[in-house]
Amino acid sequence: MFIRRLPKFEYHSPASIAGVLGLLKKYGNKARIIAGGTDLLLAMKKRAVTPEHLVNVKNIKALKGISYDAKKGLKIGALVTCAELEESPLIKEKAPALWDAVYVMASPQVKTLATIGGNLCSAVPSADTAPPLIAMGAEAVLSGPKGEHIMAVEKLFKGPAESKVARSEILTHIRIPKQPERSCAAYLKLMRRAAMDLALVGVAAYVCLDADNKTCKEVRIALGAVAPTPIRAPMAEKLLSGKEISAALAEEAGKVAGTVCSPITDLRASLGYRCDMVEVLTRRAVMAALARINNRTTK
Amino acid sequence: MAEYSVVGKPVERTDGRIKATGSAKYAADLIAPGMLYGKLLRSPLAHAKILNIDATKAKALKGVKAVVTGKDFPGIPYGTRPDTRDQLPMPVTKVHHFGEGVVAVAAVDEDTAEEALDLIKVDYQELPVVLTAEDAMAPGAPLVNELSKSNIAYFSDFLFGDIEKGFKEADYIREETFSSQRVTVGFIEPHACLVEVDPTGRVLLQASKQSPYVTWRHMCRALDIPVSKMRIINPFVGGGFSGKHDPFDIDFATVKLAQMTGRPVKTVLNYDEVLAAYRQRNAMNAKLKMGLKKNGQITALRTECVLEGGPIAGIGPFNIYYFGAFQNVPYKIPAIEYHGKLTYSNRAPCGTVRGQEIVLAQYCLDSMLGIVAEDLGVDQVEIRHMNAVTNNWKAANGLIVDVSGLPECIEKCGKRIGWKESRTSRPKGRGIGFSCASHPSGVRLGGHFGSSVMLKLMEDGNVVVTHGGTEIGQGANTIFCQMTAEVLGIPFESVIQGVSDSDTTIFDSGMFGDRCTYWDGNATIAAAKDLKRQLAEIAGAELKVSPDDLEFKNSMIFLKENPEVKMDFLTASRRAYYEKGSPLYGRGYWAATDIDIVDWKTGRGNLAHGLDFIATGIKVDVDRETGKVTLLQGVSADDAGQPIHPVMLDGQVNGGSAHMTGHALLEDCLYDEKGRVLNGSWRDYKQPTALDTPEYIVEHVHTHDPYGPFGAKGAGEASSCSSLAAIANGIYDAVGVRIKDLPITPEKILAALKEKAKNSGKTGG
Repeated sequence: MFIRRLPKFEYHSPASIAGVLGLLKKYGNKARIIAGGTDLLLAMKKRAVTPEHLVNVKNIKALKGISYDAKKGLKIGALVTCAELEESPLIKEKAPALWDAVYVMASPQVKTLATIGGNLCSAVPSADTAPPLIAMGAEAVLSGPKGEHIMAVEKLFKGPAESKVARSEILTHIRIPKQPERSCAAYLKLMRRAAMDLALVGVAAYVCLDADNKTCKEVRIALGAVAPTPIRAPMAEKLLSGKEISAALAEEAGKVAGTVCSPITDLRASLGYRCDMVEVLTRRAVMAALARINNRTTK
Repeated sequence: MAEYSVVGKPVERTDGRIKATGSAKYAADLIAPGMLYGKLLRSPLAHAKILNIDATKAKALKGVKAVVTGKDFPGIPYGTRPDTRDQLPMPVTKVHHFGEGVVAVAAVDEDTAEEALDLIKVDYQELPVVLTAEDAMAPGAPLVNELSKSNIAYFSDFLFGDIEKGFKEADYIREETFSSQRVTVGFIEPHACLVEVDPTGRVLLQASKQSPYVTWRHMCRALDIPVSKMRIINPFVGGGFSGKHDPFDIDFATVKLAQMTGRPVKTVLNYDEVLAAYRQRNAMNAKLKMGLKKNGQITALRTECVLEGGPIAGIGPFNIYYFGAFQNVPYKIPAIEYHGKLTYSNRAPCGTVRGQEIVLAQYCLDSMLGIVAEDLGVDQVEIRHMNAVTNNWKAANGLIVDVSGLPECIEKCGKRIGWKESRTSRPKGRGIGFSCASHPSGVRLGGHFGSSVMLKLMEDGNVVVTHGGTEIGQGANTIFCQMTAEVLGIPFESVIQGVSDSDTTIFDSGMFGDRCTYWDGNATIAAAKDLKRQLAEIAGAELKVSPDDLEFKNSMIFLKENPEVKMDFLTASRRAYYEKGSPLYGRGYWAATDIDIVDWKTGRGNLAHGLDFIATGIKVDVDRETGKVTLLQGVSADDAGQPIHPVMLDGQVNGGSAHMTGHALLEDCLYDEKGRVLNGSWRDYKQPTALDTPEYIVEHVHTHDPYGPFGAKGAGEASSCSSLAAIANGIYDAVGVRIKDLPITPEKILAALKEKAKNSGKTGG
C-alpha cells in the first residue's frame, strides 16, 4: 500500500558479460539485472517485484560508451545513462530525436542513474527512448546462452512492463544505422507539466527525402504511451510516402495515426484526449523532422 | 520615510549558508542515544469499524519494544476550538480515512519495525464512505465523526449591510458557481519527530512543526499532562505552508512509544504517507451572486460556500469564517450576505494551504469580476481600480483598512504587464488575467492569541533572540535579528538566532496568516526596547545623564545633544555583567489587543490590523490544439508596508504565486469510489516545477502601516490569493473559454474550445 524499505536480496556484481549470463542461468526467474535501478528499486520498495538476486552490471566495461562508425552508424552501450546521451555532441548531431527524448526525461538526478538499456528493458509503454529509436530503425544487440543475436527495437516489447529480452539474456548495446542523407527524425512529448513527467503521448517521426529534396522517400512514425507497447503508425506512413509533405498532408497523416492508437483512460489523461493528441503531435513531429532536414540542407 | 541601518536591507539570511550547504539538521536527522524507530500501520479502508487488533505476534518479534493503539491514550478529544474538539490521538472505535494510523510500533531498527507491522492483524467492518460535501449532507448519510452528531462540522451565516437595497440598486446582476479540488500542502520535508522522556517523565518533542505552541497545547490536553510536563524544541523545518500546525498520529504515537519503552523514539514518514493521509486544502463548491452599477461599481454580493474537509473540523472553522470575512476586502462592497458550511468526509483531513481559504474566496470573487467586467464592457483594470479599498476604509463587516496601497498596486501592475498595449494587439492564443487580494497581518481569533520574544544580552555585547514565530523557510529568524539590531544600534551580525524552545519563549499562537512579521516583529521591538532601557540606565548613571536622552547607534550609546558623551555598547554590556553581576534580558510580547476578537456568530468586528494588498497580472499562452497553458509572465505589485528584507519579500510574493500555479493548473488529490488515494506519489501528483512557473516581476508600493513594526505589514500569502483568478482570467482572455472548476486542465480547455466552436458555428449559420 505504501512504499517500504527494500526487501532482502543477494547482490552480485560480475565483471563480465559471461559472468552475468552465468548468474542468470543459475538463478533463473529469481534474478533480475540491475543497472541504474531507477525503475527496479522503486518496484521493489512497492513489493511489485521481489527478486532474491540482483545482478549488478555497472562494472562491465563492454556495456559502456557511445561510438560512431561512418559506415555502421552509432553504437550505444546499454549502460549509457540518459545524462551521458544528453551531454553527447555525437548524439545531438547524429541522433537528434534520441536527444529530444533524453532532454525531456526525468530529473538531472534520475538521468544520471537511468540507462538506455534499462529504459528499454523496463518496457513501460511511455518509455521515452523507444519511439525515436524505432523511428530511426535502431536495433538491440542481445547476448544470451546461445550467443549474440539482434532484434529491432521495434520488436523488443511484449506488453506493459514486459520486454522480449529473455530472463537468460542481457541487452548489451543499441545500434542506430547510419542515417541517409536528406533524412532526420524528431521526437515530441506531451506532458502535464513542463519537466519531470511521464509522456501522455510521445511521437517520433523519421523522414527521408528523395534526391529532389521534396518527395518523401521513406517515413517512420512511432508512438509512445498510447498502446500496451510503443507502436508504429503504418497507415500514416503510407499516406506520406512518395508524396511531397505539406502541413495539410501531415495533418491528414496525424488523423490516420490517431486511429491506430489504443490508449487507456488513466489518472493522467483520457483515451479521447490521447487520441486527439496523437493527431496533433504526429503532424508536428513530421513537420519538425522535415524542418530539420531543410535546416541542414540550407546550411 | 525613516532612515534605517539594518531594516529594509537585503542582509544575508541567518540560515542561508547552513541550508545551502546541506548542513542544517531537520527532525529526521536527529539521533539520540539508544534511539528506537517508530512505524505506523495504516488503514487500508476509508471508513470502517475497528473490531479487533491482534498484535501478539508483533510484540513477540525480536527487536520490537512496544506497540501502541488508540486505546493507550486517555480518550480526551482535542480540537482547534472548544466547540470543535472532535479528534483523538489515534482511532479507537473506527477509522475515518484511508491511511489513518491505527497501530504504532517501536523497534530497534526500521526493518524490524516494518516486519512487525506485517504481523499485526486488524479486523475491520467496512462502513459506507462519505466522499463529498453532497454525500455528507444527503439525508441518512452515515456519520463520519463519532464525536459529532452531524456531518456539518461548522457553519457561518453573516449579513453585512443592506443586501436587499444593494441588489435593488444594481443595474446588473450575475450568478455563477465555482469549484475547487483537493490539493496537498506541498512542503518538502515529510512529517518527522524525535521524542525523549526524561527520568522525571518530562517529554521532549523535537518535530517538524510550524506552530509548535498549537501542537504543544493540543498534545498536552489529549495526553492529559500539564504543559510544564512537555517541552517542545523546533529543529530546522523544511517548509510548512499550513500543513504542520497541529499534532498528528505520528507525534502522539511516538510520545506514547517513548513513554512505554523509556527510550528515545524517532518516526519519519515517507512522502507517499503524507500525500495519502495528512493535511490537504478543502474541496470547495461556491455560488456567487453579484450586483453592480453599469459603470462596474459593486453594490451587493451574496455568497454561498461549502467546504469539504475530511473527518475532522481542524482549523476548518477559521477557513469558513475567512471565506466570508474576505468578501469584504479588497473591494468596496457595501452589502454582503454569506452562508458557509464545512462538512466532514472520509477523505484525508484538511487544514489549509498558504493563504488559507482566502485563496478560494478570492478565486471566486476575482473570477466573477472578470466575468461581469466583460458583460458590462468595463475594462478589467478599471473595474478593479474603481472598487479597490482605499485608506481609512471601513468594510461592511467592520474591518478597518488603515492604509491601502491597492489602487496604486493595480495601476503599477497593469502598466508593467502592458495591459493597454495588449488591447490593441497581441499574438493569437495569448492573454492577460488579473486578480487582486488582501490578506491580514495576523487576525485576532480569540483564545491564546499573542506573540513573545526573549532577548539575552551576552557579555561580549552580542544578543541572542528567541521567539515563538517559527522559521519555516520564510525568513522570520532573519528579520527578527534585523529588527533587534536596528533598535539596539548594533550590527546585524551581532544578533544571533537562538533555538525555538518552549522552556524559554514559545508562547505564540502560530506561524500562519502573514502574522509573524507583524506580531512577533512588534514583540521583538518591545523586547529590544526593554533591553535598551536597561542598558541606558547603566550608561546614564555612569555618564551622569538621563537614560531618556541616550541614543543607540553604530554600537555606541551617546547623548543625543552631544555625541561626545558616550559609552560603547560592549562596555555597557560588561558593566552589567562584571560590575552589577546582572545578566540582562529583554522581554517583549505583543497582541493586537486594541482590535476586536472575532465575533463568530455575526462575523463582525475589526479583526486585524495591517491588511496587505496585492495586484497580480499573469500573461498566459494557450495552445489551442493541446489545451496546454504556458505561463509567460507574472507581475505582482504589492503593498507590504515597509519592506523589512526586500529580497525575501520578493521571494515571498513570487513563491506564493508559484505555489498556486499547481492548484490552478495541475494538482488534484484523486480518490477512488471507496475513498482510497489514487495518486499518492510525486510521479502521479503533479506539483509544478520551476519550468512551469513564469518569469516573475515584483513592484513594491511602499506604505507605512501605523501599527506594524517599522511600518511593515505581512507578506507571502496575498500573492497565493491573487494567483488562481489571474490565471483563470488570463486563459479566458487568451482563448475565450472560462473553466470554473479547478484545476484548469488541457482536456477541459479543449472540450470548452470544441463546444465554443460548435456554438459559434450554429449562430454563424
